[in-house]
Amino acid sequence: MNVEELVRDTLREQAAEQPSAGPGFADRVLAVRRRRRTRRLAAVAAATAAVVAVAVTVPLLDSGKSDVRPAGVVQQNGITGHPDQSPPRLLVAAGQTALAAYYTWRTVPQTDDRGIGVRTYWLLDPGTGTYVKDSRWSFVAVAPGLRTAAVLEQNLPVRRIGLLDLATRKVERWIPVEHRVGALAFSYDGTRLLATTYDENPDVRAKAQNDKGGWDWGPAFATSSRTGFYDLGVASGKGSWTGVVSDRNDIARGDFSFSRTGDQVYARVIGDRDGTQQFYDLDGAKIAAPADEKYLRADVDARLSPNGRLAALGLTKEVAPGKSYSSIRDPRTGKEITKVRGGDLLAWADDRRLIAWERASGLDEPYRARLVLVTIGSDKIVPLSGVQKDMYDELKAWQPVFARR
Amino acid sequence: MDAELQESFREFVDGRSSALLKTAVLLTGGDRHAAEDLLQNALIKAAGRWQRIDEPEAYVRQVLYRQQISRWRLKWRRRELSVPEPPEARAAPDTTSAADLRLVLRAALSRLTARQRTVLVLRYFEDLPEADVARLLGCSVGTVRSTTHRSLARLRTLAPELAALAPAPGREQPPSRDYSPVEVRP
Repeated sequence: MNVEELVRDTLREQAAEQPSAGPGFADRVLAVRRRRRTRRLAAVAAATAAVVAVAVTVPLLDSGKSDVRPAGVVQQNGITGHPDQSPPRLLVAAGQTALAAYYTWRTVPQTDDRGIGVRTYWLLDPGTGTYVKDSRWSFVAVAPGLRTAAVLEQNLPVRRIGLLDLATRKVERWIPVEHRVGALAFSYDGTRLLATTYDENPDVRAKAQNDKGGWDWGPAFATSSRTGFYDLGVASGKGSWTGVVSDRNDIARGDFSFSRTGDQVYARVIGDRDGTQQFYDLDGAKIAAPADEKYLRADVDARLSPNGRLAALGLTKEVAPGKSYSSIRDPRTGKEITKVRGGDLLAWADDRRLIAWERASGLDEPYRARLVLVTIGSDKIVPLSGVQKDMYDELKAWQPVFARR
Repeated sequence: MDAELQESFREFVDGRSSALLKTAVLLTGGDRHAAEDLLQNALIKAAGRWQRIDEPEAYVRQVLYRQQISRWRLKWRRRELSVPEPPEARAAPDTTSAADLRLVLRAALSRLTARQRTVLVLRYFEDLPEADVARLLGCSVGTVRSTTHRSLARLRTLAPELAALAPAPGREQPPSRDYSPVEVRP
């Protein structure tokens, strides 16, 4: 074999590995084209208006401050944001990550002071780039690629897992399970599905006194009914169940997630600090954290960067409304490498950019945030969503679910 | 673009976008997101002329190739060369099995310039003769020939593991020094 033949083989092999462009690519192209044309026309109109304003009177120069982009759309370098929409109605995405779904909470009372939290999901329709309400599901995990979601029906825990085609909204396959499931998570590569099993509904809520002297529904701090996990192959639907003994450090909803490699699982537990995580091997035994995940926090969802070299950690300072910083650390040593804008790092868009919540309300006001794109080494942010109306009101606050595109 | 044209555009994209995306990924050196952007821009350009295009696929491919090269030439968007994997992460296996060599070569391909990679994709993935490559890229056959030669030489430099391979049959050894494009009429 010579170099030319090897180049030929290598290119063909690389091409053959590429997944298809996915449904809705044509619509995406047409939508971007429409937006660009609108922007061009708006720019021409704004330029004309500016010329007229100058000709008429000097004070009207202020009109030049207006942004020529269509209101509420950010579209640049793979970033799609809608800073006027909360919750989003149209696709929010940056780099390799998209907002695949979001959900709101409501509590269904069981007694005077106890209830069950129920999620209502809005799932991304990949064809139209819109979020569509789908009340059938109590729990949704979206696989990388945004084509498939794993879903659980209402009244957790349940005895079957659905694999939903996001384009058609039809369940392509049901996976029946013996142990009842209350949570789902895909492996990083999307080939395996981790299903956490519970004996009782893990979303128990209790009434708690709020700051204003009234009562709100909140987490019940109930004991864990978690029993273990299923490790299932997504293609085959087959796998095995592993029992994990709960102890007093386990929280009511202590869902398992795969580590980056998929060789271990972890769950959030009660510990010395917020976001403490406990790792387990695939036989259910407690183990130490893998070397590059031991400094991560279970309550900072972004975790490791795509190349695995950076770890997203928690809030370090809030200097003003809309200006907070989180820590980026070396995953092996735990040492801070830099700080990045954003109060709560949710997902990596690529190896330098992350999607985060950034506070929009004053420091002495109730916390209200919006989704933003932050960049390591830059103080600039790009708003991706509108500001949450009330993050303490479970009916109004929406919770994002991200997946790689 | 009226409804009928939009329908025909959608039909084309649905049928051909996966194949076009494969080419775009190769042109961007394995960067899937850059490839999607590249293809999206080419398709937007095609959509603007849809009524007047006789051979959509040929048109879109030509836009892909030329856009990729001009993107590199103008250092569009970013100044640094973006590669999907950091150079130090490049695999350097001890073995020289075909699979290992392909991995090594893939990393080396991602470090070529866009122009070099585009010429190799056209010559060895699309299997186009030099004259067709020259026509597509708007340059001379001599430039295609010299760029191909230089690209293969650069691959050998980037991936010393390729030294074990035989030279191409019926071809002379690559020259030891770099040389400028020369107009050569076939």
